[in-house]
Amino acid sequence: MNEQELIEKIAYNVIQGRVIAEDEGFDEGLEGQPAVTELMEQAVEQNIDAKKLVMECLTGSMEDVGEKYDKGIYLIPDMLASAECVGAAMDILGPRLAKAGIESKGRFVLATVAGDLHDIGKNIVGIMLKGAGFEVIDLGNDVPADRIVEETRKNNAQFLGLSALLTTTMREMEKVVKALQNEGIRDKVRVLIGGAPTSDKFAKQIGADAYCRDAFHAVDVLRKMNI
Amino acid sequence: MIIIGEQINATRSDIKPIIENHREDKLIELAQKLAKAGATYIDVNIGTGSGTSNDEVDDMRWAVKTIGDKIDIPLCLDSADAAVLEAGLEARESKPAMINSTKAEKKHLERIVPMAKRYNAKLVALAMDESGIPKTPEGRLAACRKVADWCTKCDVPMKNVFFDPLVLPVSAGPMQGLLTLNTLASIKKEFSEAKTVIGLSNVSFGLPARAILNAAFLQMAMYAGLDAAIMDPLNETLMQAVRTGEALVGKDRHFRKYSRKFRRKN
Repeated sequence: MNEQELIEKIAYNVIQGRVIAEDEGFDEGLEGQPAVTELMEQAVEQNIDAKKLVMECLTGSMEDVGEKYDKGIYLIPDMLASAECVGAAMDILGPRLAKAGIESKGRFVLATVAGDLHDIGKNIVGIMLKGAGFEVIDLGNDVPADRIVEETRKNNAQFLGLSALLTTTMREMEKVVKALQNEGIRDKVRVLIGGAPTSDKFAKQIGADAYCRDAFHAVDVLRKMNI
Repeated sequence: MIIIGEQINATRSDIKPIIENHREDKLIELAQKLAKAGATYIDVNIGTGSGTSNDEVDDMRWAVKTIGDKIDIPLCLDSADAAVLEAGLEARESKPAMINSTKAEKKHLERIVPMAKRYNAKLVALAMDESGIPKTPEGRLAACRKVADWCTKCDVPMKNVFFDPLVLPVSAGPMQGLLTLNTLASIKKEFSEAKTVIGLSNVSFGLPARAILNAAFLQMAMYAGLDAAIMDPLNETLMQAVRTGEALVGKDRHFRKYSRKFRRKN
């Protein structure tokens, strides 16, 4: 397979959500054919430029997936399958990207706030951000404000993503923003928030930089921040 | 879930004439319908009850050839007669096949288990022995152990063995459902590599609303570790139970089968 064919095939399989050869895809009858893992390994073997692979196989495909999800053509598991593909591809490409001295778009600390155990959405955001070229430091769920602030400082993160799925825990985000202020690092980091009960209005209210509707929107928001 | 389509069974009045008269077109039509509906295997039982063993050998050969020539789907060869089973295996010409079935009786085991090895076929093993159907999970498990010993002796890998814990009608014995489920769980615990299979519709014999009862039992059995069911893939209630059950016990990676069945069609 030449470079272009291989790139197109990987992009196609990301959209189909096929991580390994035995996986079924969104469409029927693909099982058994090489999937993202096998094809990406081949691409690395053929020395295709890692950055090109990220841009042309992952970023564009996930935009396509996001669109399909918005239109209701893709369901949550379809989107997760594609996100899993991006994760698998990045595991293969990670060392290459580092070796090639390709700089990440920035360090992104991610957490579900204290008292909240929901992390599915946050995890998807994490995978999407990796696919978009960010270095993601995922602190997990139920993370207290002081730890979030500490990790943001320690990692010198330019971005902080906060998630909450409950009306009772979303208030915790305000605490985090205040704590960043108190520690004097609020202007060093952009705070993005998300989760079902949050909104644009809420983001403004608590002094966050942006509200993100979902993982795709998050990537979009970051792009519009000119990063 | 492995779905073994049960329709092609000559004890059914609509199938008997197809087998007796070797109605090729009818047989293929039915097999195609089953494959399209989602059957993983098609069960082939040509025992009309009226012919001799030789007739059955001929009928099996004919049915297996007829389906195999037209449709690329594994067949489950269903007979209590070892000669009929062997004729079917031979006619498959190395294409995927399942033997249905052996009991844990020496005279069956010594004939049928070596066939599973020789033809590299899957093997359904009923949890019953010379003394009949044991009334406890322990008794049925003991029968399975006997089969497992023979499989080891004949070099048939456990992953090719489908233990049938046996399903008896709940109408005649209200504890039968639970007995099957408990046996199923014990089999999976002891033989983690082996598969399990049930003849689903037995459970609802003699009762109304059979599909609903079958669907409920199927999902309980899936939780207990069921891998395969001999059932009617043309029944929508049952297929819905399969797809929802698989999704709920983590046997449908990325929800592909579930989504394909239920997602909004453009």
